[in-house]
Amino acid sequence: MKRILTILLIFVLIIVGAYIATILDINPPQKKVRPLGRLYLFESYYGKYSAKSPEVVTSIVWDYRGLDTIFEVTVFFLAIMGGLTIFRIEKREKEKIKDLKIKYSGGLTIIVKIVTKLLTVMIVAVSASIALHGHLTPGGGFQGGTALAIAPLLILVAYSREVLEKHGLTYIKAVLIRSVSLLCILVIVFLPFIHGYYLLQNQPFYPVKVFGQLISGSLFFYNFFDYIAIGMGFTAIFLYLSIPEKIYRRIIEVSKG
Amino acid sequence: MIMVHLLMLLVASLLGLFFSYMAITEKDLLKAIAYSAGQGVAYSILFYLLMAPDVVLAYIAIAVGIYSALLVFVVSKTTRYEED
Repeated sequence: MKRILTILLIFVLIIVGAYIATILDINPPQKKVRPLGRLYLFESYYGKYSAKSPEVVTSIVWDYRGLDTIFEVTVFFLAIMGGLTIFRIEKREKEKIKDLKIKYSGGLTIIVKIVTKLLTVMIVAVSASIALHGHLTPGGGFQGGTALAIAPLLILVAYSREVLEKHGLTYIKAVLIRSVSLLCILVIVFLPFIHGYYLLQNQPFYPVKVFGQLISGSLFFYNFFDYIAIGMGFTAIFLYLSIPEKIYRRIIEVSKG
Repeated sequence: MIMVHLLMLLVASLLGLFFSYMAITEKDLLKAIAYSAGQGVAYSILFYLLMAPDVVLAYIAIAVGIYSALLVFVVSKTTRYEED
């Protein structure tokens, strides 16, 4: 009861404050585009140094401020590698827990399973559209990748970890696909440098259109590989986290003797 | 027109505040995670109204899906109820 009273008091204070601020017209909302914003809006597609992408956010993230994003990807890579290092099970440890059998309870009910089957396909389709149209519409590699990571997560919850692994998505594969796509990002970063341009340069080295479709040079490739890298990174983390606590306890018990 | 947007902003932010307050004061950790996901939904409405669709797309997948799932995994490795 005391909880509700406190939150009600805060609400009343905020609403009264907002009302007073509206009447006094403190800090009116910005209605015009600032000069810097106008520069970015113009230069992302039309200007002399443009990224040839109508989506301004993607052209800033992967072109004008591309180096920031590369380091961001590196930080994310290191974070996931750190998590995997903590939760890893080594080969010699695997032999110790050979006799430990964990019974599969059968997952959730059939309604949840059918809904999950339908939803998984839709989520993968939506995430692909977010990521691959990242240079045309809002969205991009990171956004699409996080949406992609939801699909295996749903299967993990509704079915089990074994179902995912039986269908070929083991954590070793996830980490491998992730590393390969990160390598591809590095190759795209260094290719212009080898041919005498700057690092991370987009135009005029990469083609603007392929088969008449606008791909905005390197932005499409960055989005695509980032999409796979982020999705697989989160999947690997979930696969590790879903290892039952029993196994770790057993490993500690056996190694203590 | 801008007035309606500001009112929706106020409602969405109050909703987010309510959910985050409930999440902090809740003793049942699973319920707290659900409240935190609700806060994520309210904030994604906020970001959408502030014309940041790129942030919305990442935020809704992380705040409702990945973040909640990570916390549920973590809670499953400890106890469900927070003690005084």
